[in-house]
Amino acid sequence: MRRKLAILLAGTMIATTILAGCGSKDKGSASQEASNGTTEEESGKLEGDITFWHSFTQGPRLEVIQETADQFMKDNLDVKITIETFSWGDFYTKWTTGLASGNVPDMSTALPGHVVEMMDSEALVPVDDLIDDIGRDKFSEAALSEGEKDGACYSLPLYSHAQVMWYRKDLLEAAGLSVPTTWAEFAEAAKALTKDGVYGCSFPCGSNDLMGTRFLNFYVRRGGGSLLTDDLKADLTSDLAIEGINYWLDIYENCSPKDSVNYAVLDQANLFYQGKTAFDFNSGFQIGGVETNSPDLVDQIDCAPLPKINADDPDHGAETSNIPMVVWNNSEHQDICKAFIKKLYEKDTYIKFLDATPVGMLPSITGISDTPEYQKNETVQKFSNAVEVITDAMNKGTAIGYEHGPSVQAGFLTSQGIIESMFQDIITNGTDVEEAAKAAEDKLNELFLTVQ
Amino acid sequence: MKRKVKFDYARWIFVLPALVIVGALLIYPIFSSLYYSMTTKHLIRASYDFIGVDNYKAVLSDSNFYKAFFTSILWTVGSLFGQLFIGFTAALAINRVNMGKGVYRTLMIIPWAFPSIVIALSWKWILNGVSGFVPNLLVQLGICSELPQFLSDSGLVFLTLIFINVWFGAPMIMVNVLSALQTIPQEQYEAAQIDGASKVQQFWYITVPHIKIVVGLLVVLRTIWVFNNFDIIYLLTGGGPANATTTMPIYAYNMGWNTKLLGRSSAVTMLLLAFLLMICVVYFTIIGKWEKEDK
Repeated sequence: MRRKLAILLAGTMIATTILAGCGSKDKGSASQEASNGTTEEESGKLEGDITFWHSFTQGPRLEVIQETADQFMKDNLDVKITIETFSWGDFYTKWTTGLASGNVPDMSTALPGHVVEMMDSEALVPVDDLIDDIGRDKFSEAALSEGEKDGACYSLPLYSHAQVMWYRKDLLEAAGLSVPTTWAEFAEAAKALTKDGVYGCSFPCGSNDLMGTRFLNFYVRRGGGSLLTDDLKADLTSDLAIEGINYWLDIYENCSPKDSVNYAVLDQANLFYQGKTAFDFNSGFQIGGVETNSPDLVDQIDCAPLPKINADDPDHGAETSNIPMVVWNNSEHQDICKAFIKKLYEKDTYIKFLDATPVGMLPSITGISDTPEYQKNETVQKFSNAVEVITDAMNKGTAIGYEHGPSVQAGFLTSQGIIESMFQDIITNGTDVEEAAKAAEDKLNELFLTVQ
Repeated sequence: MKRKVKFDYARWIFVLPALVIVGALLIYPIFSSLYYSMTTKHLIRASYDFIGVDNYKAVLSDSNFYKAFFTSILWTVGSLFGQLFIGFTAALAINRVNMGKGVYRTLMIIPWAFPSIVIALSWKWILNGVSGFVPNLLVQLGICSELPQFLSDSGLVFLTLIFINVWFGAPMIMVNVLSALQTIPQEQYEAAQIDGASKVQQFWYITVPHIKIVVGLLVVLRTIWVFNNFDIIYLLTGGGPANATTTMPIYAYNMGWNTKLLGRSSAVTMLLLAFLLMICVVYFTIIGKWEKEDK
């Protein structure tokens, strides 16, 4: 009896194998997925076309994302992923206009400010199941809270970075100066280094970008203040904010190219990349820019925490950016989106992605930065101090205005160019600082009313 | 006895596709803008309310609206005058050239062939206040003691933009005027010469009457295009510094895309449309008069 049963079992297995061999490609891939840890049942659900919009326009990041999508499609033959790439500015225009007509992607990257607006317009689906699947404890609570509304998470950070102070070691050394730790020391050093075709620090306030707000926020946040009040009103007339405005006007007057009144982020970064500024504020993306534009200067740059007002002030965080992934409500294949996002967080894929811009993109999940695979990257090794400084800043900071939690008001601070126009008004028309600050504050508060 | 006129369906069927396309592309956007201008329509919010003329009141009570309006007028008049002067002069000069006229014409039309983004980024690069070619050249030649800030100095930026727009638009005027000049019969000049007319008289009594309708139409078109021009200014200065170069289209854009108040932005565009229609009526009345005189 036992022998008969064994023969029957063996026969069934052989027949199953033969049938599987004769079966469709889908089933073959399903078996392959099963061996990769995905059940056949799960792989059976993955069928359909999705569109993925992302803003990783630079070559290496673009390639890693495309390779991951290709691999995912190979593993799931009934899935087609169409990738469309836009700059952040174009992306914002695309989704805001597309929302009304339903012409939005299935999944996308976003900026924290975008996520608040997307949640506000009910354009996203919660991704708590995906976060739990990857491991909620791997993510920083603060990063997850940036996409949280009514207890549900609508985004999860793919990578993170923070704003720190970048400086030229050779210029500081030649002038016998140490790395500034307070804003006063910074101003003094920047003024001393403004010579021989080099500017100490450029102060950018082009109204097409958020740079003026960013710089003012550095000063105010490091002093323990905020550009928003607790009840989410603009606060540009506090003593700290006025002090900050005056501080940056002094930098503009004494250490900055006059053209910077119209500078956007890239204009500003280019000056440092080309060795024309001694100091700048940026994330680890600065390294790649210098490497590309002035390879000789790579050994001469390093970063330090943002200066404080007084050396013994507490170490208040300033600006952290957690770049999130979101799944759109309009998508008919949210399961595919979530499965693909999960794949992006797989250790090998994730490290490969981060390696595309080493130090620029730092891991948003634990268990990556201390792995030998991550550590072996040459840039990560060379700029280990920068990794440490940025990671520390990252853990303490928030997106601009998010120190009070995610809000549309925080998004308005950076997207309207109002603070930049205020700086331009003072610089160009000589408007009184307090008068201009009050006017900008009123304008922002008036705008805030439109979303209440 | 009244004669019954038979309705001709055929001609209506033939023009129907054109009517539908014009309706979809022209009439619908105008009426939808008109409707939205009376609502609280928001760029990314689904619901909105009808608020009558409140958006118009808000726009008309904003001092920045008037500032943008007058900047637009100056931008249009300055650009148009420069384009006409350069384009007209270049056309008259090339018309006198006997050899290689085609080559000159092709070379001069080059600026017109570039996309706005290329023009804006090229000029931004050339005029960059730190490493730009022109500011550094002016300092090296001793013309300026420090780098001139063409795109950020409030005293220079507007003139710089007008210069770029003249450089960009003059070739188009030149080509059209040149075409019109070449249709003037040479016999008229020969007859005038025999009658003892001076060059100025020949220009005034032969050249101008022949080309004034073409120039008039060009002025109408260029007025609309220049007044509505957005890309070059936005890419070069973003309307700054301190709104020094904010024209009406940039003002409307900021209203619709930055603040997302589409209703209010639509009100701005409707006011813009009304103004341009008024200008067109004036222009076409003048051109119509010229045409009657010609007949």
